[in-house]
Amino acid sequence: MTVYILAEHRRGELMDVTFESISAARRLNDEVVAILLGTDLADHAEKVAKYADKVLVVEDERIENNTEAYTQVIGEIIKKDKPKVFLMGNTSMGMDIAPALAIDLDSPIATDVVGISEEGGRIKVNRSVYNGKVLSDLVLREAETSVIAIRSGEFSAADLEEKNGEITKVDSPLKETIENKKFLEFVEPVAGAVDITQADVLISVGRGIKDKDNLPMAEELADAVGGVVSCSRPVVDYDWLPKDRQVGTSGKTVKPKFYLAFGISGAFQHVAGMKGATMIVAINKDIKAPIFSVAQYGIVDDLLKVMPALTEKIKELKS
Amino acid sequence: MMEVEEGNFDEAYDVYACMQCGKCTGSCAVSLRSDLNIRELMRIAILNKNEDLEKHEEIWDCTSCGICTVRCPRDLKPAEVIIGMRSSLVEGGTIPVTVRDALESVGTNNNPWGRPKSKRAEWLEDLDVKVKNISEGEEAEYLLYIGCTASYDPRIQSVSRAAINVLTKLGVDFGILGEEEPCCGSEPRMMGETGLFEMLVEDNLTLFDEFGISKIITLSPHAYNTFVNDYPECAKRLKEDDVEIPDIELEVKHYTQFLEELIDDGRLDGEMMNEFSGTVIYHDPCYLGKRNNIFEPPRKILNIIPGARCIEFDRREDRSLCCEGGGGRMWAEGTGTGERNAIIRVNDANQDGANVIAVACPFCLSTLEDAHVTAGYEETMRVMDIFEILDEVLK
Repeated sequence: MTVYILAEHRRGELMDVTFESISAARRLNDEVVAILLGTDLADHAEKVAKYADKVLVVEDERIENNTEAYTQVIGEIIKKDKPKVFLMGNTSMGMDIAPALAIDLDSPIATDVVGISEEGGRIKVNRSVYNGKVLSDLVLREAETSVIAIRSGEFSAADLEEKNGEITKVDSPLKETIENKKFLEFVEPVAGAVDITQADVLISVGRGIKDKDNLPMAEELADAVGGVVSCSRPVVDYDWLPKDRQVGTSGKTVKPKFYLAFGISGAFQHVAGMKGATMIVAINKDIKAPIFSVAQYGIVDDLLKVMPALTEKIKELKS
Repeated sequence: MMEVEEGNFDEAYDVYACMQCGKCTGSCAVSLRSDLNIRELMRIAILNKNEDLEKHEEIWDCTSCGICTVRCPRDLKPAEVIIGMRSSLVEGGTIPVTVRDALESVGTNNNPWGRPKSKRAEWLEDLDVKVKNISEGEEAEYLLYIGCTASYDPRIQSVSRAAINVLTKLGVDFGILGEEEPCCGSEPRMMGETGLFEMLVEDNLTLFDEFGISKIITLSPHAYNTFVNDYPECAKRLKEDDVEIPDIELEVKHYTQFLEELIDDGRLDGEMMNEFSGTVIYHDPCYLGKRNNIFEPPRKILNIIPGARCIEFDRREDRSLCCEGGGGRMWAEGTGTGERNAIIRVNDANQDGANVIAVACPFCLSTLEDAHVTAGYEETMRVMDIFEILDEVLK
C-alpha cells in the first residue's frame, strides 16, 4: 500500500512542506507517491522525484492556484488509486483542501499533525490541543484512505533517502473549469511589517531600554535566537518602535513559546497581553517589578549588561 | 442606513438640532492629538452619510469623558452619538480586534480583561480583616462594588484592599460579592455593545434582587455612573419590551460621596488620622466630574487629612483634563500621536509643586501611575487613590 502526498508549490517555488510531507510519509514505511498539479512543473517534478518513489504530474492551467480544482483532481486520483493515506501540509492551502477532500471521500482526517506512526495496521497520529498545552494521540478509524495534514516544520526533511522515482504524466481528470472560485492575485504583506503575534520568540523591550540607540542591541539578540523584537507601550510612545510591535490589551495579544521581557515593569495591561506565553523570562533592575510575578525565570540586573552577554552566549552556543 | 438598537439615529439622538458650531470638537480631550472630530461625526449623523463609518477609525479614540455633551449649547449628546456609531460598527463586526476580545471576555469571563471569573476575588488573599461575602448568604447594609479593573489589576487591587481596611475601621456594615461580582457593563456600553449591556443590566438587577442588595458603594466612578444613569433608563426600555426585570430601587454612591456623609455625620475626621506629609493635587475623574457634577466630596475628604497640603490643577472640575482611560481606551490605543494626556497631567502636577496626585478612579490611577513613571517622576511623586491615602493615615 502507498502514501500519496501533495507537492505544494507557489509562485514558481516548491514549498518546504512538500519534502516534510515525504519525510512524514516515510514514517509509515510505505511507497511514497507525490502529486504535482498546475503548470510549468518539469523542474519541480525532478526535484520531488529525487526523494519520492513516484511523481504523478497533472499539467492543467485550470488547476493552477485554485484549491477547488486541487480538491477535485486529488479526489479523482485517490478514488482511482486508493492509497492508504493522503498527506499534505496543514498550510493555508492544506486547511482549504484536506477537510473538503475528507468530506468528498468520506475519509477520517487528522489536521495539524506533529507525529505519525502505524500501529497494528491503523494510523496513529499525534496532535496538540488546548493551545499547545496538551499532546493527544489519536488512532484513525479503518478506512480505504485517511487524510492527514501535517504541521509545517515538524518533520525534518534533512535526511531524506534518495529514491529518484519515476515521473508519470497523467491526463487531467478535472471535468470542467471551476467557476465558483477564481484566483485573483497574490497580495504581499507590507514590506517591513512584522506580525509579533506569529513569532515563537519575542524579545520584548520596555522603558528600561532607555534610548533608541540601544534598540539594535535587541535586534541583534532577536537575530541570534531567531525571534522578533516587540515592546511595551512607552517604547511606542517615545516613537522608538512602531505601534504594531506593542504588546498589551490595547496593542497585541501574543502567545509565543518564549517571551523575554527586558526592562518591562509589567503593568497589568502589558501582562494581560502576554500571559499566555509558554515561557516568560524577565530582566529588570527593580526586584519589585510586577513582571517577576508572571515570569518563570528572572534576572535582577541592568538589561544593558544582560542583553549583550546573552547575545554573545547564544552565538557561541550556535557556532 | 445608520441604525441603532434604540431606533433611528436621528430620533435617538436628536441630531437635527445640531448647528455645527464645533464647540464639541473645540473642547474634546483627544482632538488635540488625534483626528477625532466630533462636529464632523455629528454632520455624518445628520446627513445619514454613514456608509463609510468604518473608515473613521478615530471613532475609537473617544474616551467618553463627556465634555462635548457638557459644552453643547443645544443640549445634545454628541458623546452618545459616538456610542451609537460604535454600536453600528459592532453590529457590522468591523471593530478593532482588541475591542472585540475585551467584549468577548465580558461575555465569557464577566470582565473585559480576559481573566478567569474564578480569580476575581484573589485580591482578598492578603487581607488581615474578615470581609462579609453577600453572595455566600452573609447580610450587610451596603454592597461594596469593586469592579473589574480593581479586582484584577495588581496595582489597582491595592485600592480594593485599602477600601476594605478603611470601611472596616470606620465601622461600616458592608459586604462584597467576591467571585460572583459581575461586570457593571459601563465599558461594554461605551464600546457600543448595546446588546451585551442590556443583558448585564438584566442579569445584574436580578442578582442584586436575589441577594437583597439595595445600597451600593462603588470604587469606580464608571460603575457609579452606569448604575445611576444608565441602568434605570435601560431597565425602563427593557420593561417596555416585556423583559422581566425586578422592580428594585438602587441607592448608589461613589465612595467619596459616602465618605463625605460620614464626615458630615461626625464619623470621620482628622482626629482619627496620623499626619500625612505631602502636597496633594486632586485629579477630577470625568465620570464623577463632567458626567455627574461631583466635585466637592473628594476635596472635602482630602482637606480633613492633617498635614496634607491640598493644591489644585489649573484645569480642574468640569475642565479637568481627561486621562484617556475610559470609553474602551484600555483596549483601543486609538489613532492619536504625540504626548498622552496623562503625561501632560503629571507634568502639570509636577510644575504645580505636587508630590502626590490623588485620584478616585481606577482608570485614572492606571494611566497616571504609568505616566508618572514614563515622565521620570518615579522617585519624586506618588499617584494614589484617596482610599489608599486614608488607609495610610487612619489610626
